[in-house]
Amino acid sequence: MDTAPLYLEPRLAPRLAALLGAAPFLHALVDALGSPLNVLVPEQIAENAAGFRSVYRRHHLGGQVYFAHKANRSRSLVRRLTTADAAVDVASLGELQRALGAGFTADRIMATGPKDPAFLWLAARSGITVNADGPGELEALAALVRRYALPRPRVLLRLREFETSGPRTLSRRSRFGTSVKALGPLLDLLERHRDSLDPVGVGYHLDTTSPDEKAIALEGCLRAMDDLRSRGFQPRALDVGGGFGVGYLAHAAQWDRYTSELTAAVMGRRPPLTWGGHGYGLHAEGGTLRGALSLYPAHRPVAGAAYLDALLSQPARTLGRPLGTLLLESLYDLYTEPGRALADQCGLTLARVLEVRHQDAGPALVRLGMNANDVTLEDHGILVDPVLLPRNGGSTGPPEPAAVHLMGNLCLEADLITRRTVFLPRRPQPGDVLAFANTAGYCMDFGATRAQQQPVARAVAVHREGGEGTWRWCLDEEYWPVQEYGPINDPGGQS
Amino acid sequence: MRYDSITEAIGNTPLVRIDPAVHGLSRIDLYAKLEMLNPFGSVKDRAAWNMARAGLPGARERRETIVELSSGNTAKALAVIAGMHGLPFKSVTNRMRIPEVKDLLLLLGAEIEELPGRSECLDPMDTEDPLTLFHQRLNQSGSAHLHTDQYFNDLNTEAHERGTGPEIVADLDGRAPDWFLACVGTAGSSTGVARALRAHDPAVRVIGLVGEKSDFIPGIRNIDEVHEVGLFDPATYDEIEPVSADDAIDGMLTLVRRCGILAGPTGGAAYRGAVRHLTALDAGLTERKTAVFIVCDRVESYLGYVKQRRPELLGRPRVRNSVTALSDTEVRAARVIEVADAQKWLASERPLLIDLRSSFAYAALHIDGSVNIVDELFDELLRGGLPFGKRQPVLLACPVGEQSARYAALLTRMGHPDVRSLAGGIIAWRDAGAPLVRD
Repeated sequence: MDTAPLYLEPRLAPRLAALLGAAPFLHALVDALGSPLNVLVPEQIAENAAGFRSVYRRHHLGGQVYFAHKANRSRSLVRRLTTADAAVDVASLGELQRALGAGFTADRIMATGPKDPAFLWLAARSGITVNADGPGELEALAALVRRYALPRPRVLLRLREFETSGPRTLSRRSRFGTSVKALGPLLDLLERHRDSLDPVGVGYHLDTTSPDEKAIALEGCLRAMDDLRSRGFQPRALDVGGGFGVGYLAHAAQWDRYTSELTAAVMGRRPPLTWGGHGYGLHAEGGTLRGALSLYPAHRPVAGAAYLDALLSQPARTLGRPLGTLLLESLYDLYTEPGRALADQCGLTLARVLEVRHQDAGPALVRLGMNANDVTLEDHGILVDPVLLPRNGGSTGPPEPAAVHLMGNLCLEADLITRRTVFLPRRPQPGDVLAFANTAGYCMDFGATRAQQQPVARAVAVHREGGEGTWRWCLDEEYWPVQEYGPINDPGGQS
Repeated sequence: MRYDSITEAIGNTPLVRIDPAVHGLSRIDLYAKLEMLNPFGSVKDRAAWNMARAGLPGARERRETIVELSSGNTAKALAVIAGMHGLPFKSVTNRMRIPEVKDLLLLLGAEIEELPGRSECLDPMDTEDPLTLFHQRLNQSGSAHLHTDQYFNDLNTEAHERGTGPEIVADLDGRAPDWFLACVGTAGSSTGVARALRAHDPAVRVIGLVGEKSDFIPGIRNIDEVHEVGLFDPATYDEIEPVSADDAIDGMLTLVRRCGILAGPTGGAAYRGAVRHLTALDAGLTERKTAVFIVCDRVESYLGYVKQRRPELLGRPRVRNSVTALSDTEVRAARVIEVADAQKWLASERPLLIDLRSSFAYAALHIDGSVNIVDELFDELLRGGLPFGKRQPVLLACPVGEQSARYAALLTRMGHPDVRSLAGGIIAWRDAGAPLVRD
């Protein structure tokens, strides 16, 4: 049995690593703005968008990289993208208003997800692209366009249930999109509404890490594009959705060791690694391991833009050529909707340590000034260590690894920040801050609530002057991607 | 030897001594049990036949489908057995990562169902774990399936306890070996053989080999995955050691190149794991000992696996007339022609216009009058020489004008006097508003 601390250290890009190195700055922010606090690094999202763009260039593909706004509520990330080579994918009326207000023009906005009439109306009114879920939505949109004499909107058809010949690849059931089997009637509908709707292409969005399933969907979409063409439409864009993933952990070996030890704990061959012996989907039954590990694959060597690159390089199952080549040869633009992958390394969530309760046996209980809704890593099955930022800036005595359980501030048994026993390089003290790194993609504010009148985290945007100098911050809502402080100095009356 | 059915040829595989000059052990005789010589090609033939045999008549009566969770050899053997008995066979898997095996299964008439990958937006409360759903479906009343259940079926172990194990003892003149080493997949062969050997001599040491987590070795489980196997009992093994994909390929190379044993990577992993384990003990020995490892299957299905990891092993000589042999200077010197000029040239000189894109893209939209020769095909044509006369001017087109420039350079090098590349390709042609047609 292995008793050494089981660390799961976060992968940190240079900006986030430097920010975590500025502990006094982060402590000052929490002192002023309270715990929890979300810190965003807008420069990083522009760099990530450029990474996706370089994959487009490598495959000679045009098109758009749409940031899935739902991954993060902040204004600063979206505003920063207005000046990058990127676009935005909005999934609600509020997100659309945000995108328009941030300065995105209609050619760089796409509406996805379930839509209500007001959302559809503003989408058509402003002239953005509508990624349509199915026939009902298209009918509703066409009716709005005719009734209010709106411009003819560009629509994309979200498809699902792609078929394969030979080996049958199963995919999870999805409640979104239209089955390719029903493409015929959908095209009939589009023909009827030729004057009100402009179909620019088709797409898919699969909730899977498996590139094989996506390759099948992409090939199915290529064939669907052909069906559109044979009906006299001129489709030009293929939307491959999102799900490119993020690698959260710095070291593969830590992840391998952790998952092995978790298996051993579930099998009863070592003390539990979790609160109450939770198995993250695994359980033992008659000496055999049952269930499936319900965790995000936190160490992913191929994620984000590299995943897109791998997908485009993969040969199509029936058409034979690499998918990227087929897109290019067919003269189609590529649309992607990365959320998590574009928000990678774009922020962190800070929480103050309120209490450290020592137990006679087992890990100490550490209560934080946040609750489980403020950092939803656990909801997404993402296991990664927070970074300890001591209050006094450093050490009293030699660091000694400490096993702790992280508790939230709600009066609720289930309010655990994570059910996992977390190993920290030293025992935390009240007043210290724990920094959860890389939370900007879905794990920052997606589920934040005002339960029990506890505060919702404020958000700030930070940058470093000249890239190397002093850290500067502003409230998220005050951030704009310009660096002006007032009217340009007017020398006055000297003309 | 004469048989009434091919299934009678299952088992009684040879035990072959590995030349000490190859493995370098001075006091241990190392033997390979050649399970690859079973009629359907692997150690799984024994388990498949033993698990399916009794149920076949009933399954035929009830028109059942044989179902197994298998990524390879068990599926292969069951597909053959099902076919021989007029039954359909379905393999359900999320581990089938060897394309050659997949194709072979389809050729044998099997149906393959692949389970979905992990969820990207994980819902920890999800109860629809694909494997659980699979078992629920099988257990529904009225489901017409014969599920052989190799990971939990004792008949899997029994095939080796009654067959493989006793054969080894018989071939070693009635003695059990001092060590038995095997890769752990379903744990059926290692558990069954271990039982037979220990019944004969409790002192035999059994070493289980599992894959390292970083890469996969076909047919072996890694240290976490073995726990999902019902037949796996840690107490079976005196030691469990990891082997890597590199070990597997290195071991395979030794067996195929120096021992005349055309083993696949699993056999290679067993060989490497065995030699590594035994080398540490060899020097301290005072008397001669014997060790046996299992060669599970054959090399032929794994060329893609090797190519991905060690492309240099499958290196081919450089081909004549290849675009890869061109210098950047040659490519830059290729003659290009802008869209407007190309339109005029096409009208006046009628050059042969070759579209290098795939037939799928060509069928959707192309320049009127162009001929579609897909780049791969064109590449092959050029290896033999110029596929058209030198007096015939040629215009090459590809999506963005990059590939066509390379082929224009190659044709120029091959002596063609007037070949041009469409600048910016078909995309520039479209963007310039020049006509594209669809037939």
